[in-house]
Amino acid sequence: MAIGVGALLTACGGTPTAQLSALAGPPQSGGTLRVGLVGGGAADTLDAHIPVSTTDIARVVNLYEALLYRDENFDLKPLLALSATPSADAKTWTIKLRKGVLFHDGRTMTSRDVAATFARIVDPENPKSGASSLTVLDEVVVLDNYLLEFRLNTPTATFDDSLGQYALGIVPADYDPLNPVGTGPFKYESFTAGRRSLFTRNDNYWRDGEPYLDELRILNFSDDNALINALLATQVDAIGQVPLALLEVLETDPRVDILNSETGMWLPFTMRVDRAPFDDVRVRQAFRLVVDREQMVEQVLSGHGTVGNDMYALYDPGYAEDLPQRVQNIDRAKELLVEAGYPDGLDVELVTAPIQAGAVEAAQVFAQQAIAAGINVSIRRVDTTTFFGDDYLQWDFAQDFWYTRNFLPQVNNGSLPTSPYNETHWANPRFLELVAEAKTTIDPTKRNALITEAQTIEYDEGGYIIWGHPNQADAYQRYVGGLVPSGTGLPLSGFEFRRVWLGGQN
Amino acid sequence: MTQIDTHTETSPAVVETPPGLLRRIIRQRQAKIGLVLTGIVVVVAVFGPMLLPWFTGYTSTEFVGRPFQADGLFGTDNLGRDILSRFLDGGLTLLVFAALATGLGMLLGTGAGMLAAYQGGWLDSVIMRGNDVLLALPQLVFALLAITVLGPQGWVVVLVIGITHAPRIARVTRSAASAVITEDFIRASEMYAVPRWKILVRDVLPNITGPLMVELGLRMTYSIAAIASLSFLGLGMQPPTADWGLMINENRIALTLQPWGVILPVLAIAILTVGSNLITDAVARASATVEESK
Amino acid sequence: MPGLILRRLSISAVILLVVSMLVFVATLLLPGDPAQALLGQQATPERLEALRDQMNLNDPIAQRYLHWLGGLFVGDFGVSTASGGSVGALLGERIAASLVLMTAAAAISIPVGILVGTYSALRRGRVGDHAATGISLVLAALPDFVIGIALVTLFSTTVFTVLPSVTMAPPGEHVWDYPSQLILPVLTLVLVVMPYVIRMMRTTMIEVLDSGHVEMARLKGVPERQVIWRHALPHAIAPVAQVVAIQLAWLAGGIVIVEFLFRYPGVGQALVDAVTNRDVQVVQALAMLIAAVYVVVNLLADIVGIVTNPKLRTGGTR
Repeated sequence: MAIGVGALLTACGGTPTAQLSALAGPPQSGGTLRVGLVGGGAADTLDAHIPVSTTDIARVVNLYEALLYRDENFDLKPLLALSATPSADAKTWTIKLRKGVLFHDGRTMTSRDVAATFARIVDPENPKSGASSLTVLDEVVVLDNYLLEFRLNTPTATFDDSLGQYALGIVPADYDPLNPVGTGPFKYESFTAGRRSLFTRNDNYWRDGEPYLDELRILNFSDDNALINALLATQVDAIGQVPLALLEVLETDPRVDILNSETGMWLPFTMRVDRAPFDDVRVRQAFRLVVDREQMVEQVLSGHGTVGNDMYALYDPGYAEDLPQRVQNIDRAKELLVEAGYPDGLDVELVTAPIQAGAVEAAQVFAQQAIAAGINVSIRRVDTTTFFGDDYLQWDFAQDFWYTRNFLPQVNNGSLPTSPYNETHWANPRFLELVAEAKTTIDPTKRNALITEAQTIEYDEGGYIIWGHPNQADAYQRYVGGLVPSGTGLPLSGFEFRRVWLGGQN
Repeated sequence: MTQIDTHTETSPAVVETPPGLLRRIIRQRQAKIGLVLTGIVVVVAVFGPMLLPWFTGYTSTEFVGRPFQADGLFGTDNLGRDILSRFLDGGLTLLVFAALATGLGMLLGTGAGMLAAYQGGWLDSVIMRGNDVLLALPQLVFALLAITVLGPQGWVVVLVIGITHAPRIARVTRSAASAVITEDFIRASEMYAVPRWKILVRDVLPNITGPLMVELGLRMTYSIAAIASLSFLGLGMQPPTADWGLMINENRIALTLQPWGVILPVLAIAILTVGSNLITDAVARASATVEESK
Repeated sequence: MPGLILRRLSISAVILLVVSMLVFVATLLLPGDPAQALLGQQATPERLEALRDQMNLNDPIAQRYLHWLGGLFVGDFGVSTASGGSVGALLGERIAASLVLMTAAAAISIPVGILVGTYSALRRGRVGDHAATGISLVLAALPDFVIGIALVTLFSTTVFTVLPSVTMAPPGEHVWDYPSQLILPVLTLVLVVMPYVIRMMRTTMIEVLDSGHVEMARLKGVPERQVIWRHALPHAIAPVAQVVAIQLAWLAGGIVIVEFLFRYPGVGQALVDAVTNRDVQVVQALAMLIAAVYVVVNLLADIVGIVTNPKLRTGGTR
């Protein structure tokens, strides 16, 4: 016991900064990388266009590639497309494709495959998750093997942002998810849903020298404890999404390195604006004022995160950063509740599940904070499968998690009546007007102003309580090289395992 | 050594009354140790909540520092609350629920056992078969089944543990009561048309206190263990309630970082159950000695 | 004697049947529509009706019960609402994993328990006996998870850090590929079960050592070692065999806590997960499985008791 106390005393550091891999180059070829993740389940899939769980996303990023992608600094970079250029009216986007990219089966990727991919995604009989961002797409016109045009029905200045989503990987026209073929750095070997995936090096990969690994194994764990122990026992080489409160357990082990990235991720509480009591904007505002945001970051994230201001798209150039930082104001919250007709406070049920590290803890801390305003929150904890089951998006008061996105792509995903994931059922007419206008505004300054205005509406009246932006923390063995912090919120350098190599002693 | 029981209104009975038994129990060293151990934990559990917040400086729900740090007196728990405060607040419900469950079980079991022994015949068979059915599932599994249907609530736990105690107690009661029922003074009461329930309560019950007290001890020990186990599984007390079993589960993920959140409640439960078992053992010995001396 | 055994057999069968009815009642009491829960967002009225028909939800209760019961015999345990897959598929490996645990625990606790109990009886009243009895008492009192956590704190996280505290076998590999992670769960089960074996063995041996024919053997001048092995132990086997069987049955219930504690992918862990997710079909299947093991092992204990001791009264004590 004395030993235990001693160990815990040594673990008191300051706020850990992002650490780069201690492994110096040059990258070595070969080896198997075993990655541990939590969050997979029986509904896991290899399909390129419907990734849901963390393990799905990890697979998709490594098997397939979209036209563009966001790197670790959240910059939009070319991937399978060399360039994406808008016409003057932003209604036509011309894509120049990279030449010499081969699919895993040896065929060359051409414009026809891109067209087929997008047809598959927006197929009205069976739309995929990316379809919501592509409602402006009228048709994809193939000009020649490596040149095509996206013709839009409305001018959309940020269409390239929409193209940079991991759920838009390019697949051949005869794509079959049971025998998946893509252009990614790794190709499919075997897969058991909720358990493990095995991928091998794509020797035809278009990037010279990459990937370095021979084999990539993605292993699903049922809980964080098992995940951490597996790393410490060297049964896996890297783990994604370490609970922030447990970082110290790993920091004290000299064989392990930590990635601690600041991100624009958010873990909101979602209030349905079309259901009582949240249909009254005063109640929503009261709930937002109840939150002590610093305390949330301290208790839920152990300080590893930034305070949120009820707005998403933190890295968007149009982010409304001039709006005052909302702070806890219990008195004002109580006033609002009285005005809304709840002089004695009210009772609500909050549905939570371990959908992301910190979700359940956030619910518990919020419930505690809400007591002061007379709000009695009863927590209903369900498992992940139930949470994302048939009541998902119907809960009156629940939570969700989002990776970093800019404003317009995020709006497509969650703030439009047509969005696939509009948890709050937000449908403010003025907001929709502004968004529609912003999408077609080519001049960035004007567009950002519109975005700011739209965000202000959400700041005042929205259904999200965005209390903070968690850091993304991962851990890996010292002999793993090539991992860098990533602002995208996706674990382990955005799952870019093509850059990873194994060095020194295993 | 026989004593005349002055409580029965009919003929005198040969019985060791509870006061005599108690004296015999307490004389044993085991009992003394057991009472001390149990006593300490009970005092902490009962008076702990009253000590907050002035003793520790914190309540059991306020946030003191980051999770699993060394702030506060014994550190912080999984949400950053003070572990000592949570600990002081976490024993009372456990004790109360355990006592209620045991009491319920004793009531049902003793009643059923005595009835079965006294009536005999088909009632005896029915009760014994009913027992066998209830005994066919481990108590924990039974509790899990009930919780699946009714949800993890306090009263569900108390009810189901109490019900699953009953057959075990009934069996012991029945076999102890059978020996007494054949005694002459029972026949005498019947001849005087004393109502059956009075016979059972006034004549039979006092004569089976020995084995019953042993059962009480065993059941109480088990109730504490079972209820703490259910909370540990996350199926008993729910957050944010401070509860020893729940604390152990909430904090065990950080055992290497902050062991106190687990060690304090584990020690408390351990001392409590061991003490309770020591007392039970002493009672068993004392009443066994009584049996031998008859 | 065969008549006695047959009677016990039929009583056990009836008991299991009644238990199955009790367990089935749980389905009826659960709120919500199982078909809706399974179909989730793909539920259209037509598909709901079709699934309800397929799951016989529209049949009268008695018929549904019989259908479920029949399913149990052929290995069709229904569908899990959590995974959407068949319960049977889910359980296959879990049962194997739990059996590994139980067998290992039994293989250690029973011989060691018998030895310690005998030793205790032989050294009755002396230091060895007091120590063994004292430790047994303490272990018997402690809840299983307390023993488990104590072992974890001692050997895994805080005092010594040599053994794993969580089962970490990556998916696709068997639990027994990493034997070091089996040590603590097995040890916990052993410590939970052994005290009873020790105490029973001790009591029985004391009785037997005080008994008539042991006295006879001693008077005849038989060496003490032979007295113990040839004359005492055989008579102690019967009641101890019963306790052993009871402990095995107990293991079936005891693994629930231990598996949860060590995240061991067995039947117990599956049960706790199912209860947490209100996955009724799985809970029912597992409850019946454990009840069946319990009843069968108790039955075996009874039979052993009958067979080894013809003097056992009918309708006797347990």
